[in-house]
Amino acid sequence: MEIHYSGEHSWAGLIGNFFIILSFTGAILSAVSYFITANKPLEDNSWKRLGRTAFRVHSLAVLGIMATLFVMLYNHYFEYQYIWEHSNLEMPMKYIFSCFWEGQEGSFLLWTFWHVVLGNILIRYSKEWEAPVMTVFSFVQIFLASMLLGIYVGSLHIGSNPFLLVRQLPENLGLPWTKLADYLTKIPYFQDGRGLNPLLQNYWMTIHPPTLFLGFASTLVPFAYAIAGLWKKKLNEWQSPALPWTFFGIMILGTGILMGGAWAYEALTFGGFWAWDPVENASLVPWLCFVGAGHVMLVNKNRKISLFTTFFLTIITFLLVLYSTFLTRSGILGNTSVHAFTDLGMSGQLLLYMLFFVWMSVTLLAMNKRLKIVYTLLSFSLLLLGILTGIKTAFVFTFSVLSLLVLILGYQNHFPKEEKEEDLWSREFWMFIGSLVLTIASFQIILYTSFPVLNKIIQVDFIHSIIQGIHNKMVQWFNFKGLANFASGKLATEKNAIAFYNKWQALFALVVAFFVGFGQFLKYKNTPFKAFARNLIIPLLVSGLLTGIIGYGLPNNNSLQYVLNEILLFCSLFAVCSNIEYWRKVGKGKVSKSGSSIAHIGFGLILIGALLSNSKKEVISQNIRGDLRTLDKDLSNATNILLTKGDTLPMGDYFVTYLGRHNGVGENKLYLYFDVEYLKKLKDGHYEHAFTLSPLVQRNDRMGNVFEPSTKHFLFRDIYTHLATADLDPSIGTGADEYSTPVEKTVGKQDTIFTSNSFLVLDSLTTHFDRKKYHLSDSILAVQANFSAIDDHGRHHLAQPVFTIRNNQSKPIEDTLNDLGLRLNFVKVDPASKKISVYVSEHKSNKKDFIVMEALLFPWINVLWIGCLVMITGTVLALRERLRKK
Amino acid sequence: MKRSHIIGIILIALAIGMIMSSLVSTSKYATFSESAKSPESDFHIVGKWDKEKGTIYDPQKDPNLFVFFMTDQEGTERKVCLHNSKPQDFEKSEQVVVIGKMKGADFSASETLVKCPSKYNNNKPVQ
Repeated sequence: MEIHYSGEHSWAGLIGNFFIILSFTGAILSAVSYFITANKPLEDNSWKRLGRTAFRVHSLAVLGIMATLFVMLYNHYFEYQYIWEHSNLEMPMKYIFSCFWEGQEGSFLLWTFWHVVLGNILIRYSKEWEAPVMTVFSFVQIFLASMLLGIYVGSLHIGSNPFLLVRQLPENLGLPWTKLADYLTKIPYFQDGRGLNPLLQNYWMTIHPPTLFLGFASTLVPFAYAIAGLWKKKLNEWQSPALPWTFFGIMILGTGILMGGAWAYEALTFGGFWAWDPVENASLVPWLCFVGAGHVMLVNKNRKISLFTTFFLTIITFLLVLYSTFLTRSGILGNTSVHAFTDLGMSGQLLLYMLFFVWMSVTLLAMNKRLKIVYTLLSFSLLLLGILTGIKTAFVFTFSVLSLLVLILGYQNHFPKEEKEEDLWSREFWMFIGSLVLTIASFQIILYTSFPVLNKIIQVDFIHSIIQGIHNKMVQWFNFKGLANFASGKLATEKNAIAFYNKWQALFALVVAFFVGFGQFLKYKNTPFKAFARNLIIPLLVSGLLTGIIGYGLPNNNSLQYVLNEILLFCSLFAVCSNIEYWRKVGKGKVSKSGSSIAHIGFGLILIGALLSNSKKEVISQNIRGDLRTLDKDLSNATNILLTKGDTLPMGDYFVTYLGRHNGVGENKLYLYFDVEYLKKLKDGHYEHAFTLSPLVQRNDRMGNVFEPSTKHFLFRDIYTHLATADLDPSIGTGADEYSTPVEKTVGKQDTIFTSNSFLVLDSLTTHFDRKKYHLSDSILAVQANFSAIDDHGRHHLAQPVFTIRNNQSKPIEDTLNDLGLRLNFVKVDPASKKISVYVSEHKSNKKDFIVMEALLFPWINVLWIGCLVMITGTVLALRERLRKK
Repeated sequence: MKRSHIIGIILIALAIGMIMSSLVSTSKYATFSESAKSPESDFHIVGKWDKEKGTIYDPQKDPNLFVFFMTDQEGTERKVCLHNSKPQDFEKSEQVVVIGKMKGADFSASETLVKCPSKYNNNKPVQ
């Protein structure tokens, strides 16, 4: 019998699922029609119209899915899993967008949405490229739409559906409560959702994901053009229409990444804007390749060289976006990332899509029919073997090696190559080298980030034995043991991974910055060297001088990093100065010609800002109270400091007082603010108020409390403060006159019990004590415990709780130390272990209001943010100029 | 030899150097017993916090010392001294990764990664 569930908004799910199926079929129809169109002569429009209509239907369906999901979020339909999981009643409505893309389904939807927007623009403007480009677009959309299907084909789970009811979840099917018609009103679970992760309740989280995903989506446009170019054998023509899109994408993706940094700086407590976290790296790596791709396209536009590199970088950028999605969404990063995305069981599907696009790109680049056929046959037999045997990793690895081989073979034997060589003093030559350096830089990051993937591969038996063999030979021949960890298949990043990344990336950055500095003054083809060198004199002198002034202040610890930092500073300043000079001299200060100069100035400023704020970052909350016995020389982590209410401690140029805590009001009622006042000491010894920072705790019972920093921004530096720990006991500060619930402690002789204001050492146990004091007769079994209590000021007190047994019942006699606000009850003796148990309770006023905090000083961080704005402005100007010329 | 070949060779050399450097300057996921065998190097150890034994964190004495007991994947239990403040939500952890080295019988950690299930798992509806 069918149950009629009361209160379920089943219409929403029906509409949503209708749109999902419509978007999926629309994408398929569009792909097929465009594919047919692309294989026909250009004038034949018969299938094109169908392709367009299908893509528009698909677009409307995607909008329909999004609208349905928003309506459901807005109206709190908690019977739906996605709504329950990502929103609740308490949450302010301004975070509805964050709820929307918190989950994987929502973020894929956002990605799909941007493809729809870009696709519709391309339908309108891409002219003769429409059919092949839209074929690629529609193909990608089929895959993305399938990620929302949520259907089972046999045991295979395709997609994860956002319109699933909680009672339809596989783990709930058949449970007794799902048979109740009125379960929605009966079960308290459905009255409120779990809510949004408090970390995401931040305004950056409403704009960072859409920008980032627009950036990811825009990598598809050049990719689609490149594939179309290979497919239609127009190896050069595709670049001209793809170029503006590439720079648009570079700008948007770059902005998205920096917004992520701004969010981390503002809302997270790791102390900085960039931590080389795998999730951050996963978005930076495609961007670096994208920048490389854009620049070799410029080279190619002027001189037909580096064609293969252009294809390679354009394609790899898109593939890296897929790979990043795989890394962050498959749960493979589990132990290495703080961004804990969990596996929704979609990793296999994602991997398959990625491999499909690898196969497609390599086949097209192979340029030879026989090679294509062999590669395709081998690929599909590997796929089949992989599915049949279930040993995924080994076959994926073999496929990757195969693809790389075919790529090299295709390039060597069949790809058309330019015979003549570019001149040494030509712009294209250095732009080309610069792009390669960017690619290598991104390779370093992705390699180090992919350790979990490497481990998975090495753990495959035959690969493991090969690598183990190499390692053994290295030890045998060269006594080189460095590969031991690699060969074990249990690689983990170095303890100080951030420093490792910084070292390598500083090296790449300084090379690129130097190229950016002199590259502008080079002309295409050939440049007279003398004139070129003369132009560089002023920028070199100015940046040398500035390096002398600014670089003097860099912390010198005689390390390699210090040397790299100084050179990087010089190169970045050179990039800035020389581009200003170029704009002044060659561009004659005109806005229309300023785009690339301004963008490069911005790039230089970003490097300078990142370098200065990072290398001159200062922990001003140096710990001075740490127990010297436990302090470890290698672990100079003493960056957190304890502040008791009313205490004033020196921090950097300031004195800092903890004023106390207060609750937020209204929308912020779940926030608990801790007011930390920064003071300046005047000459007469008095203190003067400088500013107050209020780092806060977002209280969240379901998902854990979240600490948020508070930062005071000055023009030349930021003071950043965050809590490491705070006792959130609500009784603090209320002054209640009572003792807290006793805590049981089991101790032996000479063991120590810590309390909030003292420590107690068990000196002895005795049966010989002044029994009269307690009115005990000699016949009663009684033991007295003698504790020495030593307080904060080193004063000794005596605590003597007594344990007695009367009428076969234990009757403890408590001892209260009023000075310490301490009460002890001796409740148990265990003769076997010679240990006793005492209940310790403390007076509530003992709980001092204190916080453990860290304060950091970031100098010159505004240079970084200004650099971002400058770079964006420059790119916009360059884009506008390029579109105007067209 | 064409200039592009020279550059190609330089870049390949750089790439190999980079790969080697990346693979050499690593730490390793290990167990307490493995870590005890080479006390001079750092290890990542994955394990579970022993809830029974609780934690010791007394910021009044030292805000940069947090002590707990952890059982690694082989089942060995060791005392871990983390030289930093107490990680947020430590009590809710289902898995802990500690990074550091053995100091005598104890593990001296400079960093921890705490995996909490609560943020991502659902508590299932009950009647």
